[in-house]
Amino acid sequence: MRIIVPVKQTLDPRGITVRRDKERIFVNQEEYILEPGSKAAIEAALRLVESAPEAAGGAELVALCVGKAQADDALREALAMGCDSAYLLCDKAFEEADVGVTARVLAAAVEKLGGADLVITGRESGDTGAGQTGPRLAEALGMAQITDVYNASIEEGGLRAVRRWGEGYCAVLARLPAVLTVAPRAFPPRYPHGARIMNAYREWQVTTWGAEELGLDEGALSPLLSFRRESFPPPLQVGEQFEGDPAGMAQDILAALRAQKIVR
Amino acid sequence: MDFSFPKEYQLFRRVVREICDTEIKPLAKKIDREHEVPSELVRKLASLGLMGVPFPQTYGGMGGGETGYCILAEELGRVCSSTTTVVGAHIGIAAMSIHLDGTERQKQKYLIPLAQGKHIGAFGLTEAAAGSDAAAIKTTAVRDGNEFVINGTKVFITNGDIADTIVIMAVTDSSLGAYGGITAFIVETASPGFSIGSLENKMGIRGSSTAECVLQDVRVPKENVLGRFGAGFLTFMKSLDIGRASLGAGCLGGAQAAMEASIAWSKLREQFGVPVATKQAVHFMISEMFVDIEALRSLVYRTAWLIDTHQPHIMEAAACKLFGSEVAGRCSNKALQIHGALGYSRDCEIERGWRDQRITEIYEGTNEIQRIVIAANLFRPYGVRIPT
Repeated sequence: MRIIVPVKQTLDPRGITVRRDKERIFVNQEEYILEPGSKAAIEAALRLVESAPEAAGGAELVALCVGKAQADDALREALAMGCDSAYLLCDKAFEEADVGVTARVLAAAVEKLGGADLVITGRESGDTGAGQTGPRLAEALGMAQITDVYNASIEEGGLRAVRRWGEGYCAVLARLPAVLTVAPRAFPPRYPHGARIMNAYREWQVTTWGAEELGLDEGALSPLLSFRRESFPPPLQVGEQFEGDPAGMAQDILAALRAQKIVR
Repeated sequence: MDFSFPKEYQLFRRVVREICDTEIKPLAKKIDREHEVPSELVRKLASLGLMGVPFPQTYGGMGGGETGYCILAEELGRVCSSTTTVVGAHIGIAAMSIHLDGTERQKQKYLIPLAQGKHIGAFGLTEAAAGSDAAAIKTTAVRDGNEFVINGTKVFITNGDIADTIVIMAVTDSSLGAYGGITAFIVETASPGFSIGSLENKMGIRGSSTAECVLQDVRVPKENVLGRFGAGFLTFMKSLDIGRASLGAGCLGGAQAAMEASIAWSKLREQFGVPVATKQAVHFMISEMFVDIEALRSLVYRTAWLIDTHQPHIMEAAACKLFGSEVAGRCSNKALQIHGALGYSRDCEIERGWRDQRITEIYEGTNEIQRIVIAANLFRPYGVRIPT
């Protein structure tokens, strides 16, 4: 079984300051990390393999990343966490990529690798948070997709996943191959073993593929989106605040909930 | 000249820091109060390869060398000196002595489980009448057929009560003195005749156990002689030499934490209507801390580089321990002053840091011994011989 995990490298949010008053994000320290949603995706893949080693049949975990040369570090961390091989999809032609182009680049890489039984990615990344890579990739590959997954297991003939459904959860069965996007909170990532960290840089390789290797022409790489300007979302509406003694506040809260018909 | 860390070490530091901040820092106060580094924590560190950082992967280690080990010690030192001490005695002197002087068979049997953290190690040199004067040890080992019979009592042995494997220094020929008369032995603590006496009630590093180890007719096979017979003094000197660099690294972490806490606190604490961070008295203290810390950082990692590239390092390692412990002392003292009465409170981590730091000027060769080691090496080319 081959599980492919597309990952993303983002700026470390600890190195940036968000200034709402100036409508700008200041980068104090330009440091890059393997983004938390991607770590969760790797964790989900590792758990699947570990929980059903026989069903996974000597599973091979492959990490992919569309990014600049520095994304090599994100892939090394993916190797340290437990991926078996890593591919950096890097080309000048990818630099203007929107999420649609990114999905096409990833899809081309999945096909070049000979396809996948499962593709697991984060539900959304910590920076743009578009949440589109997984679904667009599933479309490009013609695979089933299950988004916002909290739990997954390999069962005979397919995959069982628990995903968010309204205020609750539902179980979904899918035939393989399929694309999963996972909820970051549901898969807190493991720490990589120290020896794997050393080997990730000293022993193991990251393969780089460009547009030519992936057989992507200009048409496939032209973005649909164009960047005009960035702006901040409106400030969060904070709820009503109550003051007073605990018993009084409880009454006030109850009255407010009744007024909104949340409780009777 | 490139002063940046290779990328594997950058990632290693980031991961270790996350482990320390998430898994150890929240426990540090409890570890100090309850006098125990939880065994689950040690198992977790072991499962991540952290109980064997410097050793080759072929012997169950992480392959991180002294540089990797110093990074670990520094990051542990930032959050919990008790844990640093448990890991330090295990890696830095116990497993290290087997790594440096062990036969292939000894490494297979003892180093691998130690490096994997399946066994815990301790190092038994100090005795009631032999501290800085290590040659004054009284524990004896007498040959009996294919075995040695060891008798004696070791004191202040870090990890003594939790160790599976302990390296014991014993007199094998009292007529030969330090060089020739002392031999190192690998002893399994499950051996009949090995027992734990009292545990020390210490001022600091209270989570790390310091035990009296009693050996009464403990029999070890002759294969467990570590290093050359009669050359135990060299075995422990070599291990201690390397251990000193990582001690400096632990101090570096403690000093860095003290400085960071002082900056954060002085920003919060207001007196005379302004944060004390605006006061020149605080600026001076913080700046002095920074200078000390940066000088120590350079010394520690240059020494680690000397060790990893197999260059002479005895003086530099002694300097790491001497300067590191003094920097940790100065920084924890200044941090306590900046924190005022709060820093004197048991509820403040500055108070724990201050207590924990004090031992670093004493253990693994007092700072006075480090000065003698440095002087002996400095004077040797001039034909002046100073016994160490």
